Formats: sequence, structure tokens, C-alpha cells
Amino acid sequence: MARAKAEPQQPNTGMTLIVLVGLAIAFLLFMAFLNVVKSGNLLNETNLLFATLIFYSGAGALYLGFGVTGTESYVKFASLATWLGLLANTAAIAHRWYESGHVPFSSVYEMLLSFVWTLAVLTLVAEKKYGVKVIGTVTMPVAIVGVVLMQLLRTEVHPLVPALQSTWLHVHVALAMLAYAACALSFALAMMFLIQDNTKTETFLAVTSASTLAIYASVVLTRFEKWGGLSLVAWNPEQKSEVFLSRGVRLFVTVPDLGWLMTLTLLVVASPLVFYGLARWKRNDSFLTLANRAVFLSILLQVMAVVMFILRASDGRYPSLDTDGLFPTSLAASPFILSGLVGGVFISLLYLLLLWRRPDLARLLPSADNLDRITYKTICLAFPLLTLMIASGAYWANQTWGSYWSWDPKETWAAITWLVYAGYLHMRVTRGWRGRRAAYFAIIGFAVVMFTFFGVTYLLPGLHAYA
Amino acid sequence: MSLNLRALAHKTWRTIASIQTGVVLLILVVILSAVGTIVLQRPATEPDEMQSAYSPHVLRILDAVGLTDVFHAWWFLGLLLLVSLCIVAASIDRFPNSWRYFSRPYKYPDESFRRASHPQKSLAIADEESGLVAAERALHSLGFKPERVVREDHFGIFAERHRISELAVYIVHASLLLIFFGTIVDGIWGWRGYLSLNEGQTSNMVEIRGGSTRTLPFAIRCDAAGQENYKDGTPKKWWSQLAVVEDGRDVQKKEIVVNDPLLYSGVRFYQSSYGLNGKVDKFLLVATPSGGSGEKKEIGLALNDTVSLDADTTVRFAEFLPDFAVHDGQVYKKSNYLENPAAHLVVTSKRAGKDFDVWIPQMDEVADNSKAPYQFQATDLKMGHFTGLQVSHEPGQWGVWSGVVLIGIGLAFVFYVVHTRFWVVPVCDPKTGKCSLWIGGSANRNRDAFEQRFNHLVELVEEELNPVPRTSASEQVATVPGN
Repeated sequence: MARAKAEPQQPNTGMTLIVLVGLAIAFLLFMAFLNVVKSGNLLNETNLLFATLIFYSGAGALYLGFGVTGTESYVKFASLATWLGLLANTAAIAHRWYESGHVPFSSVYEMLLSFVWTLAVLTLVAEKKYGVKVIGTVTMPVAIVGVVLMQLLRTEVHPLVPALQSTWLHVHVALAMLAYAACALSFALAMMFLIQDNTKTETFLAVTSASTLAIYASVVLTRFEKWGGLSLVAWNPEQKSEVFLSRGVRLFVTVPDLGWLMTLTLLVVASPLVFYGLARWKRNDSFLTLANRAVFLSILLQVMAVVMFILRASDGRYPSLDTDGLFPTSLAASPFILSGLVGGVFISLLYLLLLWRRPDLARLLPSADNLDRITYKTICLAFPLLTLMIASGAYWANQTWGSYWSWDPKETWAAITWLVYAGYLHMRVTRGWRGRRAAYFAIIGFAVVMFTFFGVTYLLPGLHAYA
Repeated sequence: MSLNLRALAHKTWRTIASIQTGVVLLILVVILSAVGTIVLQRPATEPDEMQSAYSPHVLRILDAVGLTDVFHAWWFLGLLLLVSLCIVAASIDRFPNSWRYFSRPYKYPDESFRRASHPQKSLAIADEESGLVAAERALHSLGFKPERVVREDHFGIFAERHRISELAVYIVHASLLLIFFGTIVDGIWGWRGYLSLNEGQTSNMVEIRGGSTRTLPFAIRCDAAGQENYKDGTPKKWWSQLAVVEDGRDVQKKEIVVNDPLLYSGVRFYQSSYGLNGKVDKFLLVATPSGGSGEKKEIGLALNDTVSLDADTTVRFAEFLPDFAVHDGQVYKKSNYLENPAAHLVVTSKRAGKDFDVWIPQMDEVADNSKAPYQFQATDLKMGHFTGLQVSHEPGQWGVWSGVVLIGIGLAFVFYVVHTRFWVVPVCDPKTGKCSLWIGGSANRNRDAFEQRFNHLVELVEEELNPVPRTSASEQVATVPGN
């Protein structure tokens, strides 16, 4: 609310956005305030998380606005919003800590809490220390997706099972979060390097289209059911958990027609890539115009897919192919599909930003050389952290299971991440890999990190079942 | 021919030591271990789960190729060995150069070096000695220990810090090898197994994975074990009081919990599970004489215990079923889970000259509870517990841990300790007689930050050259040439 008042300083074309965002924040805060009045409890976690979400979203919108218009004053307010979000985030962590009596690192939810926190801190550091002001356009959406995921994954405070009662666990997870946030930052910086390095805009088009295609393809391939349904994990609202048929076997329900929508979106999302291919093959740039239009269309469809998914999956009871009867499902049961879909929209929007405002972006970003150097520095920070994370994890495993390395999927993928970054460092130091190749490496490294963090937990089972 | 062989050997060496080979091998390791996380692995999966996941045909192929146990397959271990070899070779190949760099630091920059060096700066000086003294003072104030380099035909100053940083990468590689060495030692001489003990039981037989057993030279006794719960019923703590028995004596005692094992002669015992062993520890009952007269008796029975209730009557705890069902006048055991327990007591009466089958709970079809001389009321059923212990022997783990500590130190040096060098050389033009002080510097990483430090040093030297308090920049410029 205070933000809305602070705004009207200079009548400027860009003021509208600040005022709008300020008003939106004020409105949401007011709604939250009503909620507080109703429940009579100001400092509970829901409110804190909500405040975090509001401020990060405001910051994200302002950073994006800065990216689009290049209005310097946005950044000031964007960092203010980030600061406030960080404050709420810190309070949420502290609250969780106080309530549970242990350092909040024991579930995906609790780790996301600190991941988002680290990301916000690093964003501010990158902005203030290195002058990479646009970084928020990339990191804030990631943080927002993180907070939304948290809303869905929210769990009651679970007491720690015996294996998790160790200081080494806290060391391990804290290091992991720091390392992963540094990797996320290096990824964002590498992307910006590619922009500054005059990578062709259509290359970004192809990559955007390919990554959204990957998201929808994985959804459709794994979840498409007969007669156009989409299978989702059933959810038990009383127990706030997934429904299990037997140990480790989840019950799936089929949401009718959603599968068709996903398939349609898949086709539309793939079309820019097809047009890009045609443009390369026929050497005809008019296809690129078509491709850009297709991106626009794909965003509309993606938004529709997300909205429909949220509407259909958030409540209602659906039949299952495995058992008789209707079962409820919930967004909380499929957090990764949701975040994938939302992520797809963000990726496409970032591409639009690039398409429309490339010269401005180039002006706002530090020089390519600087970005390359900062990327390298971030990885220099991430790599020792990764090493120590793996080492502390091994030590903890040795204390608990009597074996420091058992090749469980999470361990293996952590090692793979480490190797990828080790490869990056070697190529850079001994082969002098600079610039584009190094940037690609940093991007691949972060993709592996994401897979280790989310993919392994949800796709490959193992000892890390707690997280 | 011999020359050819040598050429071949040389070529092989070059290949092994090259960074490309290393990267290719690492990519292979990455791909194979990724496959190992996607294909179900035999050691971590139950056999029937494997069979339901893959068709027999596919499973046979996977087994034959070794993809169902990637991390113990010979080719994977061979690959890791090759990677180690590659690290060793690359280090040996590059080490002499680095060592020369380290052991014989480059102290006097010759002219071509001076021309190419960056950053560098030349300051005008009156004479050689005053310039050098100023530079020495400035370096001292920055915490360096400048060294005068005097050769036959030239002289200068050399100062450096953290030369060890040049060798840090070898520390990292050596510690990686140390970790590999530790795991290999464990792979060959180490073992892991499982030991399950009931309270009061002593054993020295450890079940090794794969079905074999290993006999320890000492035995472990579990004196007590237990579980503590949170309020919501989830387990908070498992503990076991263990004693090591060797030659009939207790040599060590410890209460272990999860995350805090017992160590005895290189063998570690970890708390890993705790639960009911399906056996009755004590069954508590109240026996009342039938007919109402006579006093109640509280008795506690373990399985097969016999207790006398009065001069004529005894009771024996004959049978215990954790989960029972009655069918056609027979009592069956339905499962081993403690779901629906039943106890079979046999009451022997000398007076009546016969046995009465008493079942708790009462079952009219099979039991003669009402005819028995006593009526029984169950008050408590105390079940026996077992404690599950992971047992492991890892003689190589010290290599692993020291490697880990070393790699931490090494990485800290690699990334954050910078080898900084400064050279100061007075240069006099023999024709004009004018002298200038050449200052150069280099750092092996973080060069932009180094440039600031370099500029700071140059400022300090300038101040030393002109000890008069500076009033204005122009005045200073004016004094330097005239000095």
C-alpha cells in the first residue's frame, strides 16, 4: 500500500506499469488483510507465503516491464519489491523453523522455501554488485513458480523421521540450495550472454519452441489416456496426500477431454519449430514471420491449457481406469505438470520480450565479455558448493546407512551434475573455451541440475524419498 | 622397429594424457550412469519387481549386457579406472611444467615480456635506487615481501604471494585419486550386511547381500531396543543397547541410535530398523476360579511356559497366532501380521483328569473355556521386538574422507587463492640519461580485480616517489620531471 503512494514522482510513459503493479500489490495485500482479520492471525505461514508471492510477482512484473521498456525507475521499485518479498520469505522460513523445531530442510516444500530465498538474494547481488539489472526478468519468474509450487506442496509440519535427525542433513541441504541457486544464476547469465553475443533471434525461437514442445510432449506422452483423457494422480483431501493403491503405486484418475487440449497445444507449440525448420531448409525468411506468429498463437493456447488444467484439476471427481468409483484430484497432486505448463508460458513470454525489445535489452545488459566473466565466476562459486554438498551427503549417508556411496539415482545425478561442471571448468581453463560454447555448457549444466532436483525425485525412486 | 614402438608408446601417452580423451571418458561415464538410474538396478530392486517391469526377453538382454547392475559391471569399473588413469597421466604430463613454474619463479622480466605484459605502468624517476626504494616501501605497505633481483647486467624487484595456487589443481586431482583409491579398497576388502537381533539374543552371523553369511570373530548382543514416537505416532527415535562379546566377556557397550553407530575393530553397526518379531514376550492374564469362589490370580506367561494355578491345576501357554481365522472347527493362522491375535492355553486339572483347551478370545466351536476350572481374562500382551542392524566394514573410507577434506582445500585454493606477482624494473635510456620505473604485474585468475590492486600499487609508488603531501594533481605532475 505504501508502494502505491510512493509512485507518482515523474510523469513518464512507464509510470502506468508501476502504478498498476503498485495497485495490484495493494489490492492483493488488502485482500490478504481481510483474510487476516477473518482468521485473526497475522503471522501464519499461509499469509507470509502469500505476501512472498505478491511481492515476488510484483518484482517480476516490474523487471519484465524494465526489460520491455527500459525505464530505469522500474528497477528501483522492482528491487524494493524483491526486498519486501525476501523479508516475507525470511519470515516464512523462520516461522516454519519455529513451528517445526528443526531447520526447515526436510521436504521438497521446505527446500523450495530456501531455494527461492537464495535465488532472490542472488538476484539482488547480481543487480547491485554486477549491474545485471535485467536478471530479475529470468529469476523472478522462477521464484514465482517456486512459490506457487510451494502453495501446492504445502504440507503440515512433519516431525523428522530418525534418519533425518542429523546436523549433516542441514549442512547438506543448505549447501545444495546455495549451489543450485548459483547454478540457476549462471544459467540466466549465460542466456543473457547469448543475447549480447548476437545469437540470432530465430535460434532463440527454435530453443523456445523446442523446450515448450518438450514440456507438452512429456505431458502428452506420459499422461494421455484413451478417448482424449488426461490421467492425473488422485488426491485424498482429508489426508492431504496422494492416493496409493499399494506401496509406491499411485492411483490415477482420468480427466476427460483435457488430453485433447494438451495434444492440440502440443501441435501448436511445435509449429514455430516446424516453420523455423522450413525457413532453414528453403532459405526463405517469410517462414520466420509465420513462426513468430505461431509463437503468439501458442502463447494463447498455452494460457488456455493452463487455465483449463487449473479449473479441471483443482476440483471435481473423476473415474479411474484401475478401480471403480470416482476419485477427487487436486493441483497439489500434479505440481510438476502445473509448473511445467506455467514455465512454458514464461519461456514463450521471454521470447516475445526478446523478439520485440532486442535492441533495448542489448543496451541494458552488461557487455558480452562481462557477462561471460560473471557466468564463469558464478560457476566458480557453484562448483565448490556442489563438491561440498556431495561430500556432506556422503558423510551423512555413511552415518545413517553405513555406506557413503550407494549409486542411488539422486547420488548418481548429483555426480553427473558435478562432472558436467567439472567439464565446463576444464574446457574453459585448459582449452580456453570462452563465450558461446561456455554459455551452452552452463545452460546444459543447469538443465542437469533441474533434473537432479525435480526429475529424480519424481521420476526415479531411491533413498532420497524424503525429498 | 624399436623407434616405431617408441613412437606408438608416445602417441598412446599423448592420447591418454590429452584433455579430449578425458572429456570423452567423462561423457561416457555420465551417459552410462544416467542409464543406470533409469533402468531398474538388481541390487536395489526385488526380483519380482524386476520381472513385472520388463518382459523376460528384455530382461535377459539387459542382464546379459549388464545394464541391470551398471555400477558393479566390469566395464563400468574399467571405465572409472581409465578415468583415473587419464587423471594421473594428464597430471604427470603437465606437472613438470607447473613445477618448474612453481620451483623457479620468473623473477626478472626481460624486454619482450615487459612489452607484452598487462597491466603495466612506467613512472619517471630521478635515479634507479630511489625508484627501487619507493617501490619496495609501497610493496611492504601492501604486505608483500619484495626481493631484490640482482644479476650481472640488470636488476629489479620481484614480489609475489600465494605461489601455491599454481599447484592447487594437482591437489584436487590427487585428492580425487585418493577418493577413488578408498572406494576401490572398500570394493575389494569391504563388505556390507544385515544383522537382526531379538532382545536378549547374541549373534555373530551377518547376512551379506546376495545370501551368504559372514561369521564375525566376536558376537553382538542386544540387551534392549526400543522406539520413541512423536505425538502423531510417527517414529522419532530407534535405539538399541548393544554389547560386544569376545571370548565370553563383554568388551564394549553402547546404546546406538540412527546416525550414531557402534564401531568395533573396524566393523560398524548401524541402527536401521526396529519392529515386532511376531513372538510373544509376555502374556498377562487374570485367572478366576470357575464358580465364583476363590481368589483371582494374576499370571504372566511366555510361550510354552507352564504355571500352576492351585495344587491341582496348571496352565500352559501352548500356541500363539498373530492373525487367526476359525473354519470347520479348526483355528488357522491367517497371516504373520499382528492383526487379530489368538492365544491357546491348555489347562490341566489333576482332579478332573483331563486337559481343557482354552482360547482367548473365546471360540465356542473349538474351545471348552466354560468347562475349564478357571476363567481367564487377558490384561496385556507384550510382544517381542527385534532390532535391525546394518553392518559394514569399510577399510578404505579413511582414504575417501581425507580425499574429501583435501579436495575442499584444493578447490578453495583453485578458485579463491590468487597467485599475484609484481615486477619492478628501473629502465634508463643510455642516450638521454632519463630513467623510468617499469612496474608490471600478473595474477593467475580474477584479473579484473587484480587490475584495481595493481593501480593501487602504482598510486602508492607514486606517493613514495613524492613524499611531499599532495596538494594538487597538477603540482605533482610538475614536480616529477623536474625532480
